[in-house]
Amino acid sequence: MDLLDQIAQIFADFVNPKKRIFLGYIALSALIALGFLVVRRKGARGAWAQAVKQILDPKVFLSRSAIADYKIFVINRLFSFLISPLLLSQVGIATAIYFALHRVEFLHPGQFSTLNQPTIIALFTLVLFVVDDFSKYLLHRWMHRFPLLWSLHKVHHSATTLTPVTVYRVHPLEGVLYTLRSIVTQGSVIPLFYFLFGSDISLYSVVGVNVLVFVFHVTGSNLRHSHISISYWPWLEHLFISPAQHHLHHSTAERHFDKNFGAALAIWDWLFASLHLSKGETSDLTFGLDARENSSEAQLSVLYFQPLRDMARIAKRLLRRLILRPALRLLALFRPPRSDPKA
Amino acid sequence: MSKHPFKLTTCLVATALFSGAAFAGDTYGPYPVTVKTYDGDKTNSVSYGGQIARHVLSDSLKRLAGSGNGGANAAEVEAQMLSYFNGSDLDLEILAPTARDGFPIRQTMVGELSGGKNIAGKFYDGAMPAWPGNLTGKEVLLHMIGKAAEADGGFDATHGYDYAQLISKFTMGAMAYNQAVDNYLDEKLDAGVKPNGQPYSEGAAYTGKEHVWDEAFGYFGAAAHSLLLSAEDNYATSKRKSLEAADANGDGIVDLKSEMVFAGAYYAAGADKSGKTAYMQTIMRAFIDGRELITSANGEDLSEAQRQQLKAYAATIADNWEKVFAEAAFKYAGSVYKDITAITTAADDEARAKAYRAYVKHWSEMKGFVMALQSGKNNLGRTAVHLNRLIGFSPVTLDETIVSGIDADGNFIKDRKLSWNSYQLHMLRVQELLIKDFAIEARAKDATAELAGLVDSLSNDGGAESD
Repeated sequence: MDLLDQIAQIFADFVNPKKRIFLGYIALSALIALGFLVVRRKGARGAWAQAVKQILDPKVFLSRSAIADYKIFVINRLFSFLISPLLLSQVGIATAIYFALHRVEFLHPGQFSTLNQPTIIALFTLVLFVVDDFSKYLLHRWMHRFPLLWSLHKVHHSATTLTPVTVYRVHPLEGVLYTLRSIVTQGSVIPLFYFLFGSDISLYSVVGVNVLVFVFHVTGSNLRHSHISISYWPWLEHLFISPAQHHLHHSTAERHFDKNFGAALAIWDWLFASLHLSKGETSDLTFGLDARENSSEAQLSVLYFQPLRDMARIAKRLLRRLILRPALRLLALFRPPRSDPKA
Repeated sequence: MSKHPFKLTTCLVATALFSGAAFAGDTYGPYPVTVKTYDGDKTNSVSYGGQIARHVLSDSLKRLAGSGNGGANAAEVEAQMLSYFNGSDLDLEILAPTARDGFPIRQTMVGELSGGKNIAGKFYDGAMPAWPGNLTGKEVLLHMIGKAAEADGGFDATHGYDYAQLISKFTMGAMAYNQAVDNYLDEKLDAGVKPNGQPYSEGAAYTGKEHVWDEAFGYFGAAAHSLLLSAEDNYATSKRKSLEAADANGDGIVDLKSEMVFAGAYYAAGADKSGKTAYMQTIMRAFIDGRELITSANGEDLSEAQRQQLKAYAATIADNWEKVFAEAAFKYAGSVYKDITAITTAADDEARAKAYRAYVKHWSEMKGFVMALQSGKNNLGRTAVHLNRLIGFSPVTLDETIVSGIDADGNFIKDRKLSWNSYQLHMLRVQELLIKDFAIEARAKDATAELAGLVDSLSNDGGAESD
């Protein structure tokens, strides 16, 4: 019984509608993919069978990379101890921010509490979603921008095939960063709303999930990590990231590097010049990393330990550059002048 | 059935005996007379009528504090208040609690409880830095009485005071709590003081220690049967809302001497209604166990071990009583916080005035309890300084100023600016401090609990999803 419980615990995310890999969302994504493929083949004979075959392609789901995804999914459960204590700090952050807001003289508690309830709920639902999405964009951009963080994020990009489980192909330390991000954004938005709009704030939600997150999931969020490349119209790809755009983000082609960091919204990429539309791009992309990155698509010891070695190396280099060298230069100022032997 | 009729009767008798025994242990008294030299006809040694008389004087004083009409009757109201505070040669009418429909009360005059009692003689007279003017506890109360008499209905909108609340809550500490924890449950438990081997006074039906303990119990303010009542019933008794709960002996009338719930006991029940605390149970149990221990000595001096045990009960009582006051202060700090939001977001002047009236009432209750906390055995040092600084001498008033002191004539000086926001922050800090320093658990009207609940309920448990 205990063993069964533990197994159920490990796979709990598949039945939790708060998670992207909830089976219901995966099923919907599969249906969307099916519809897309059949329509694209204009209902030609055998289109349905072919589409099903393409979606369930064993070359994808049983690839070495995908199997590594599955293993990482299970192993990372063991690292939940890194995350649980962080979650406790969320209330602390929220309370500290709530206290601090009292010091802002032009704001006062309940300032907008007379607004009608549906407006408050709609505003809160929207702001929480938008801020959360923006923070995801920002952190994701930093994961690519800073070498120290890239060492970790490489694990995710080492996938050579994409499946919905790839969303969990993350180094445990990167998981900690994502948790911190979520704690900081929610820990800030919630007290701000509670302060300004009073105690009756709540979310418009479906199955316990912010309705906007729910919409993101039921419209095929799982296709972002899949082999079915669905593009949107260019105007729509300026607003929402299409599965195809995310595939470009994983592409090994240099022109696709550091593009499309967005999670649900594309506006951040558009605003900060990292947007890359899928129009004119082939759907036959190669995913993964350059050999120079010292990573592996499937070898777990490399995936878990190489980032630590890389980080140590980078930290050493930073230490030398930022502290050691300036210190030596400073010391040189106090050295006595060399006597000239010719004198 | 008819084969073994005795079995049923035996069961009934046994049940009656056991439940009778349990009942005896769950009420405060009656307890037998143990004084060896006693030759009167009393069979019950319990006596705390004097303490009940003082609760009644205090409740009546609160009623009078709200009877001024803004100056015209000030002298008369002050004289009346002083007669209840200092005591009077004439028997005084009980102004509160009085009988009401469905809740008859046996006594109508203070003298029916105990003659010649006053509040002043039993009032804390040490330093009281929570009030302006560098006054002692008793001087503070006299200052409040003078101001209450001049106010309209005890309400001073300019300075933000509700005198009925200030006087009543402060007195709960400075009289009842102080006398119990700093006198009867403190030095009067020492070996050489009021020994158990002698009557409390010449001819008394109770020993020294029996009466000392009874007096402390009387100050707590619980009904003798409070342990048998739920928190709600104790509360309803004090509010004069349930004759059924109050009338322990079923004679159809409430006897203030043993069937009413006053002061500290009322607030213990108030906190216990949360379901998170059991102050009433804990304090009543300690009082009853202590009294049974004294009774079991059967009129002999208590051994050292017995006295140590008694002191342990006394410590339980004092600790929990202190928490009861801290819980009350916490609750009213939460109310003040919410009231300020109501004031600053009021739609019109009428709503604003109504919110301000409630705010002043709640502030005065909080202030009274914080002063009560500083009137016990331990005057709380650093905690008191911080509480007094955060709460101030007055609340923030409508012109966003607070009282900063009193002048030589005893008039309030109000020249310090403080914003509503800052004061709300102070209330959050007061709650934080009370939790930290008193380890309270009921925490009614916790101004940040809702936020914490919201954060928890909206938390999407991290999510290590990566794009």
